[in-house]
Amino acid sequence: MKRFRSYLLIAPTAALIFLFIVLPYVTVLIMSFRAPADGQPYGEGFSLGGYAQFFGQAYYAWSLPQTILLGMATTLICLVLGYPIALHIATASRKWRGLLYGIVLSPLLIGIVVRSYGWTILLGNSGVINATLRNLGVIDRPLPLMYNNFGVILALAHVFLPFMVLPLLSALQSMDPAIAQAARSLGARRFTIFRRVTFPVSMPGVQAGCILVFVLAISSYVTPALVGGMRVKTTTLLVVDALIDQFQWPFGSAMALVLAVSAGLIVLIFARLTRMKWT
Amino acid sequence: MQIATPVLALFRVCIYAFLLAPIVVVVLASFNAGNFLTFPPQGLSLRWFWTFLQNDVFLDAIAYSAILAAASTAVSLVIGTMAALYFVRHAGREAETVRVGVLLPLILPEILTAIALLFFFYEIGIGTEHKIALFTGHVLMTLPFVFLNVTTSLQGRDDSVELAARTLGASRYTAFRRITLPLIAPGLATGAVFAFIISFDTFGVSFILKGTGSAPLPIQLYDYLRFNFTPEAAAVSTVSILLTLVLVTAADLLFGRKA
Repeated sequence: MKRFRSYLLIAPTAALIFLFIVLPYVTVLIMSFRAPADGQPYGEGFSLGGYAQFFGQAYYAWSLPQTILLGMATTLICLVLGYPIALHIATASRKWRGLLYGIVLSPLLIGIVVRSYGWTILLGNSGVINATLRNLGVIDRPLPLMYNNFGVILALAHVFLPFMVLPLLSALQSMDPAIAQAARSLGARRFTIFRRVTFPVSMPGVQAGCILVFVLAISSYVTPALVGGMRVKTTTLLVVDALIDQFQWPFGSAMALVLAVSAGLIVLIFARLTRMKWT
Repeated sequence: MQIATPVLALFRVCIYAFLLAPIVVVVLASFNAGNFLTFPPQGLSLRWFWTFLQNDVFLDAIAYSAILAAASTAVSLVIGTMAALYFVRHAGREAETVRVGVLLPLILPEILTAIALLFFFYEIGIGTEHKIALFTGHVLMTLPFVFLNVTTSLQGRDDSVELAARTLGASRYTAFRRITLPLIAPGLATGAVFAFIISFDTFGVSFILKGTGSAPLPIQLYDYLRFNFTPEAAAVSTVSILLTLVLVTAADLLFGRKA
């Protein structure tokens, strides 16, 4: 009886997740094998047409490796920018820590549309950066900062940097500062301490952060759409295009699943290469 | 090593600037007096805020987003708190499964979840016209944030106080209402603020499930930005940033010290 009553606490959430996460994802899987049709979302019976359409047309098939590279570049930039920040916050005094933490978290509280819009103001042809450089006489023609991979990767790195810093920070904060002090008193140089002590200890944070940023980056829609101006075609943009604008549900679902499975495989390879411990 | 330290410090300052730059730029652009987003600005003015205040489309969108956020926050606050109570006190060996399950909406790509919901609501014959799909999506997106905050709050306390109340004759409900609830109030408040902001700002589920008719603010802003370049969008964004700041500050003043 007591056991049953405690189940009532989790029942609404369990029902919600099962009905509106598990079942819908199964629906996507089934949808990807339905027959394509003209004039309606899908036709009678089942086929592999959606998958054939994706792999058969270079325009669609090539978006996959491009999207994955875009995600990897974003992840790498986030790691390079996020690590010094996480290290800084972890070792900062109590007074500073709150403020720095706030700066890192602040982008999360601002909507993704507004943040991407901010980047278009910065990177546009008559945007802040180009206008400043032109007024200073450094350039004659605006630099191509937007509507290309460069701009999209930069904006994505900004949007997802907090997701890299947070896991890094929690890993670094679990480290006992005495270890680094011991290494130092035994004569290790600072870089050696970083390479042999700090970085290995923070490895779970690096792994979690990289996986999180990679998955978020390849599945993001607004940032590539606004900053890329529809000229950078990620698979996610093509998926939404196929589903919402062209009403091709089996094709869109097949594309989404190919992207999801590829992302899953890359995460597994990454985990194996970095000897990740799953907990 | 002596040279490396100032270089590293400069690098760090650049990263903090990188984090804040796009937000600062949006706020500054909203005070631009010109017809287009030019830099340097052609004088300062509040004209775009005035334009925005006379634009029903954006005002409706803000009201719509606020109602949607309040409703989905209310639902996820109740069921998220129940789930957190179960997770901390009763889950036992299934704890990890429960945690991953509740956090699924946060772990899975939002746009894919939205697409899955779209299909599902069409398959069961409801579609997106009744806003039930949109509302469900928002509850899913906000639930993990309530769960995470309340869980942290619950884990910080031991439940011996509630047990003491029960021993002294309080009913299960009274003990919860008079003892546990006040203790975890800061966690509930933070969770609610997070949930509200997430719902107010989220894009994926709103974009895919909005149906026809009025749309939440991020969607309206996105549609506007695709074809317009006036600083009005910056004024709208600034107001949205301001609303967030007010909410976060209010929660911090009310509950921050106790949390």
